[in-house]
Amino acid sequence: MYKKNTLRAIFMRCLIILFIISMHLAVRAGAQQITIKRSEASLATLMKEIKKQSGYNILYDAVALSKVPKRNVIIERATIAQALDQCLAGLPFSYIIDGSSVLITQRPTPLPPVQSEWEIRGTVRDSIGPLAGVSVSIKGTKKGATTDEKGRFILLDVSPKSTLVCTMVGYHSKEILVDSPTPIDIQLTVDDTGLDEVVVVAFGTQKKEEVVGSMTTINPAELKVPSSNLTTALAGRLAGIIAYQRSGEPGQDNADFFIRGVTTFGYKKDPLILIDGVEFTSTDLARLQPDDIASFSIMKDATATALYGARGANGVILVTTKEGKEGAAKVSFRLENSISQPNRNVELADPITYMKLNNEAVRTRDALGVVPYSQSKIDHTIAGTNPYVYPATDWRKELFKDYTVNQRANLNVSGGGKVARYYFAGTFNQDNGVLKVDKQSNFNNNIKLKTYLLRSNINVNLTKTTEVGVRMYGSFDEYSGPLDGGKEMYEKVMRSNPVLFPAYYPKTEKYDYIEHILFGGTDLGTFINPYADMVKGYREYSRSLLMAQFELKQDLSFLTKGLSFRAMGNTNRASYFTVERLYKPFYYQASYYDPKTGDLDLQVLNEREGTEYLDYKEGDKVIKSVFYLESALNYATTIANKHNLSAMLVYIMRQSQDANAGDLQQSLPARNLGLSGRATYSYDNRYSAEFNFGYNGSERFYKNHRFGFFPSGGIAWQVSNEQFWEPLKPYVSMFKVRATYGLVGNDAIGEPTDRFFYLSNVNMDDPNRKATFGSDFDYTNNGVSISRYENNNITWEIAKKTNIGLEMNLFKSFDIQADFFWEYRKNILMTRAFIPAYLGLSAGVKANVGEASGRGVDLSIDYKHSFGSNFWLTGRANFTYATSAYEVYEEPEYLQEYWKYHVGYPISQTQGYIAERLFVDDEEVANSPAQNFDMPVRGGDIKYRDVNGDGQITALDQVPIGNPKTPEIVYGFGFSTGYKNLDLSCFFQGLAQESFWIDPVATAPFLNDQQLLKAYADSHWSEENSNVMALWPRLSTYEHPNNTQTSTWFMRDGTFLRLKTAELGYTFQGKGVQRIGLDRVRVYVSGVNLLTFSRFKLWDVEMAGNGLGYPIQRVYNMGVQVSF
Amino acid sequence: MKYIQRYLYITIWSVVFTACSYLDVVPDNVATIDYAFRTPLTAEKYLFTCYSWLPGFADPYSGNPGIGGADEIWYNAHYTYNAFLLAQGNQNIQNPFLDFWMGDRGGVPLFRGIRECNIFLENIDQVKGMSDADKARMSAEVKFLKAYYHFWLMRMYGPIPIMDTNLPISATVEEVKAVTREPTDDVVNYIVHLLDEAIAVLPEKVQFEVQELGRVTKPIAMAIKAQVLVTAASPLFNGNIDFPTYQNARGEMLFNNQFHAEKWALAAQAAKEAIETCEALGSKLYYFANSGYAISDTTKTEMSIRAAITERWNSEVIWGSTNSTAGAIQTGSYPRIFPGDADYYGGYMSVPFSMVELFYSANGVPIEEDLDWQYADRYRTRKAIAQEHLYVKENYVTAMLNFEREPRFYADLAFDGGRWYGQGVYTDVNNFYVEGRLGGAAAGHAYAYSVTGYLPKKMVNFQNAAGPKLWTVQRYPWPIMRLADLYLLYAEASNEAYGPSDEVYHYLDLIRERAGLLGVEAAWGQHSSRPTKYQTKEGLREIIHQERGIELAFEGSRFWDQRRWKTAVRTLNHAIVGWDVQQETPESYYRPKIIFQQTFGLRDYFWPIQESELIRNRGLMQSPGW
Repeated sequence: MYKKNTLRAIFMRCLIILFIISMHLAVRAGAQQITIKRSEASLATLMKEIKKQSGYNILYDAVALSKVPKRNVIIERATIAQALDQCLAGLPFSYIIDGSSVLITQRPTPLPPVQSEWEIRGTVRDSIGPLAGVSVSIKGTKKGATTDEKGRFILLDVSPKSTLVCTMVGYHSKEILVDSPTPIDIQLTVDDTGLDEVVVVAFGTQKKEEVVGSMTTINPAELKVPSSNLTTALAGRLAGIIAYQRSGEPGQDNADFFIRGVTTFGYKKDPLILIDGVEFTSTDLARLQPDDIASFSIMKDATATALYGARGANGVILVTTKEGKEGAAKVSFRLENSISQPNRNVELADPITYMKLNNEAVRTRDALGVVPYSQSKIDHTIAGTNPYVYPATDWRKELFKDYTVNQRANLNVSGGGKVARYYFAGTFNQDNGVLKVDKQSNFNNNIKLKTYLLRSNINVNLTKTTEVGVRMYGSFDEYSGPLDGGKEMYEKVMRSNPVLFPAYYPKTEKYDYIEHILFGGTDLGTFINPYADMVKGYREYSRSLLMAQFELKQDLSFLTKGLSFRAMGNTNRASYFTVERLYKPFYYQASYYDPKTGDLDLQVLNEREGTEYLDYKEGDKVIKSVFYLESALNYATTIANKHNLSAMLVYIMRQSQDANAGDLQQSLPARNLGLSGRATYSYDNRYSAEFNFGYNGSERFYKNHRFGFFPSGGIAWQVSNEQFWEPLKPYVSMFKVRATYGLVGNDAIGEPTDRFFYLSNVNMDDPNRKATFGSDFDYTNNGVSISRYENNNITWEIAKKTNIGLEMNLFKSFDIQADFFWEYRKNILMTRAFIPAYLGLSAGVKANVGEASGRGVDLSIDYKHSFGSNFWLTGRANFTYATSAYEVYEEPEYLQEYWKYHVGYPISQTQGYIAERLFVDDEEVANSPAQNFDMPVRGGDIKYRDVNGDGQITALDQVPIGNPKTPEIVYGFGFSTGYKNLDLSCFFQGLAQESFWIDPVATAPFLNDQQLLKAYADSHWSEENSNVMALWPRLSTYEHPNNTQTSTWFMRDGTFLRLKTAELGYTFQGKGVQRIGLDRVRVYVSGVNLLTFSRFKLWDVEMAGNGLGYPIQRVYNMGVQVSF
Repeated sequence: MKYIQRYLYITIWSVVFTACSYLDVVPDNVATIDYAFRTPLTAEKYLFTCYSWLPGFADPYSGNPGIGGADEIWYNAHYTYNAFLLAQGNQNIQNPFLDFWMGDRGGVPLFRGIRECNIFLENIDQVKGMSDADKARMSAEVKFLKAYYHFWLMRMYGPIPIMDTNLPISATVEEVKAVTREPTDDVVNYIVHLLDEAIAVLPEKVQFEVQELGRVTKPIAMAIKAQVLVTAASPLFNGNIDFPTYQNARGEMLFNNQFHAEKWALAAQAAKEAIETCEALGSKLYYFANSGYAISDTTKTEMSIRAAITERWNSEVIWGSTNSTAGAIQTGSYPRIFPGDADYYGGYMSVPFSMVELFYSANGVPIEEDLDWQYADRYRTRKAIAQEHLYVKENYVTAMLNFEREPRFYADLAFDGGRWYGQGVYTDVNNFYVEGRLGGAAAGHAYAYSVTGYLPKKMVNFQNAAGPKLWTVQRYPWPIMRLADLYLLYAEASNEAYGPSDEVYHYLDLIRERAGLLGVEAAWGQHSSRPTKYQTKEGLREIIHQERGIELAFEGSRFWDQRRWKTAVRTLNHAIVGWDVQQETPESYYRPKIIFQQTFGLRDYFWPIQESELIRNRGLMQSPGW
């Protein structure tokens, strides 16, 4: 109840303030007795004096007035009209008195006579298409025109050698010298730092100079990469985002991305993604088409995210889609076709080396061991005697192609009239995998992911003050691919023995009668035939997302000027299902081979299990429904031209429900509730202040802790608008500093399955706790288990965020934005560390005890310049550095092993052993500290440092090693340039301060017939060559736990720099294309991941520890974009 | 303005008002632990939960350390079972094998089991609609389980914390750290006290065998009490002077270094009472009934020995495990006897020479003591004669070690040339014989083979279906306790407490008679080079130890026996020896080969506590030597 009262009090206060302000507005001056006695006064001074005395608001062009020479004036007890008459006497100005305002206008001066005048026609466009609503004026005159919906304008009576000025909000203005009466094509470049630019902020927009929060906005066109996945374009393009991609598999290639790194250890680390105000997943973001995006920004600090309350603690990605604009239908169509191939494949050793080293691996561990490959087999394989009896199977060749071809198409149409406007878009993408489709197989096993998107945004003005918007969006994925998925197919190749059997045996005359494929196999234990696994069946999935949104905007000016109301209701339905169809392959092995006749007898290995007919398996079925409601009340006003005030209140409700949740507690709807507010004040375009709050409720917590109040505030100072800055303006045309501080809450803590911390989670029917009795063991009861104890004290995780930002423009060419941030999180949920096993608890006990901090810098530099009207150049560089540290981390008390404490280290810091080198020999092992890893250690195994000196290598000897697993630095830089119709752009991207580990189990040669990496074959410890610094330790055929510990031995530097994209385009426009009814045609070629610089050579370094999975792709792309 | 004011007012109040109910999504009756004690059926489920923590008795690989953790069973290098890694001396503090403290590496978290037993005992009174007799019976079963889990932990860790009541979840660090190891004498007293409480209430037999067999009864609790007291009286816990400075945080000596003879007397009494109760309820040593086939006495004896383990609920079983039944262990023990390829991979459990040589000669005395047995020539070979065909294939050349041994040798072990009775052939003719040398049916696989040449045939039910491509196992409840074990416990305790007596000989002879051997006095008197061995306490102790090793071979007893007798430092510091199995001819096959050099140190008597647990409470102290 306390909170409720506070809230009410705050609200009442706000209302009183608003009331007082509006009362002030109502005051009117009635006196009209003006007396002025001035000598040598400027006209502006006089006008101010009149305004002061009369109470009339006088509007005038200060520049025009300043050109008038100073004068002496004596006015006594005059009316306003008399005073004005006297002041403006003999000057080219007239005035109009309208109510309590006076408008002073310049009387037209007669034009000097001209020789002749031209009619100038032209088109204005930006890099995407024609621009409507651009004002084109003739410099020095009042003449001007506005472009129509096709970007066209006509100016009559233009004198030669005059200069046209094109201006539009959001674009750099451009001046063009008119030297002939021919049509002119003008291209404007986007300006996202313009002084009067409007910036998208939470639940609205703000003038850029009034913004105090920290956010990054990107021109959506920059996100256009030849890929069907938008998330892959984020890295290095937006200052403040840490992003990296670990897989190149269609449908699974989402990049991981975090705003300003990770400062929590709960499950929710990634940002909130809002598309048209509604929360979506990163897969939904991935499917978004840059063509459909109107704005794309990320919110980084406390004030920018405050209104999103509990959901914004990890930053917010805010995307709005395009809406229709008044005018005739505008159509844009884009078609792309690209070739995609693995950027780098893992190199494997040849089959002969494989066999020899496999034999070595057995013998080097067990002198009595039986070697798997006889010398005769090796010799016959070298000789190539019979590929079915002595196979050397290149599994990768059997399974994968060298490249694949993908298609993308996007169409959008927009337009509308005075009452209704529309935008709709359709997209079709087809991404294919690189799997081979074999002729003898009955179905296509290759990955084929088709995505269809349909979007329709309609806005209707119901009345002059009421606007409704309806947005519908559907996203549909149809996938068909191998049973195991692309990553697993790659991994299976790595786990398949190359010399035991071929992919399949030929159907010789003898086996002609058999219908099924004679897959290769062996009875020497379990084996993988990846070819059989690939062709034995296929999996399909279908994913869909439907969104319906209704928005109402009501201007409430009739109540009070500047008041408006907005409400939005949204529902999402997501569904997913998957089905597998497969047969069980028959495996054969060669049982008898006659070297003389070449006769080959086959023996079936699994007569019982194999089937020739298809079976099917049902997979996951997901159905989700989300309902979201938001309503907002807005108030904005300007007082005395200089005081800008605004206030906003937002109320949100959100519910999501999962049809197949898995257990009772998870099946209950997940709900969030919040009331947030914002108040801003700015003075004279120089000083701005802002206060925000979020008051949020979460059903996860016990009643006492359910609601959290999270205030934040900030100030900004546009220094360059100060008088004293004038001398610096030519060099630094804009300079602004900002600072914010605030709290943000997070209820997505612990595990997503921990729905209600205040309830215990009891499974009354747990098969893991069953017991069986009876003479024939057939009376069984499942038991009872507890997977969470009730805890009424769990509450919000709170982040305190501080941000200091600088913005400047240098030499009118460089826009620089730098943000320095600090964050401190407390109440992070942790499992108590002191609970020993003898307590017998079946679940961890948790408490809000963890604390962590984060800090870093986001920096972006933009450069824009046009060299004449034909040649332009833009450059952009982004840099993000985000690091974190544990501040309070509950862990056991270490006596001397201070290095075990996490405090002070980044959150994704790894702890591991320090690998000194490989042991020289068994004797050294015997004389070294015991390495407690289950199996005897020998020469050639990894030697670890006994850090605490207790003569044992145990977990206490693990120290923080390497850089964090999440990169701390992500950066990108690039340029775009154009000459006439030709344009070229390049973008480099890199990351640094990241360590990753080669997986020593997945890459372990011979372990369950795993493949041998060429790098290991070339560099491993052997009895003949006991190189103690070799890449791979002493060989073994089993997983040797000593050599698979997390240690510095397999640690690698994840730093890289790559040419992420490059694009070359040519635009056809003007008469040539107009003749065929088009406006503009652009053709382009582009590429992704064309060059990579890294010290790591085994696989694409960005994949880090997942190197054996589906490789990151290199893409060559051709596209055409047409608009009319 | 007023209009707006009112509008905002309404908005705010509606927000605050709906907020409270909007977030109350949890309906009533969400399950809590109280629901487990609402009805008799849910209470039964919780009882079963308490049972579910029993170790995997029939899992020799990663459940029961007793079978494969010492020198009874070995494997080839392909296998990395937890028990095998333990046997190879790889135990460590980092992540111990078969860790029943933490519940890791094949171990069960027994403290969780104990906590749940306590929850049951705290709540069982709440159950409505259940008779007091049922509540008392279930409580007694849970008390037994609580005692058994403590016993299992004590055998492994020696002095352990006694968790008689549960610490609350909200316990402070100090309360948690106050828990420490208790002196072993106290632990034993606590366990026995609990068992006595259970014995007083438990039923003598289950009412409905088809539903309840396997649940704890009075004979089971009494037999386990005997086992507990024998363990407590054994040298490891009785007068152990190896750890004189091992004290808990309160300064109490954890091992009592004074020997107390009366501990043996108590053990003998408990064993005797258990025997009497079991026998009164119909338990008796198992003898193979006539199967309907004409078989020789030799075969009958073999089957009496084998089926005492593998026949479900035979007359000898006191406590059979229904939760962990013998399945995989049978496959692992079965050497392929059909030529050709099989699509199952068994026959890899290998019996080292330490066990093979433990079995008596046909005269019922140790082979090194037998006056007639050619001990020095045991690794030489000879051809089997026709009269031996019930043991060894006629005219087959095999080692002398495999000839003229006691019936339990032939019943328990499979070896190259040995007869394999059963699996479809139930007469004495046309029997299967194991062919273990390269080229034989049991050899040649990459890893499904015996690394010593011997396999524990004892584990395999003779009626399992077998063929070239066929192998179907009939599971049997693992005998956790059987009458022969109880006889041996009594004989041992009685000899230790009172010295040799006719009663001791009587119980030994009952077992020997079933095994087709002469009684102790006759066998040693007539055939041993130490004819008076059985007349002294020490000599008889040796005889009882060996008899126990043979009779209970591969059943999970020897591992613990060697420890409680403190003989492991001797018996487990030994080479693991087998034949040169990757050979084709008898000459090259029958060469003893050292497979592994086993080591056992003082610290190996007890399990180490995982390091991560110790740093949570350093007062817990690491087990001695670790």
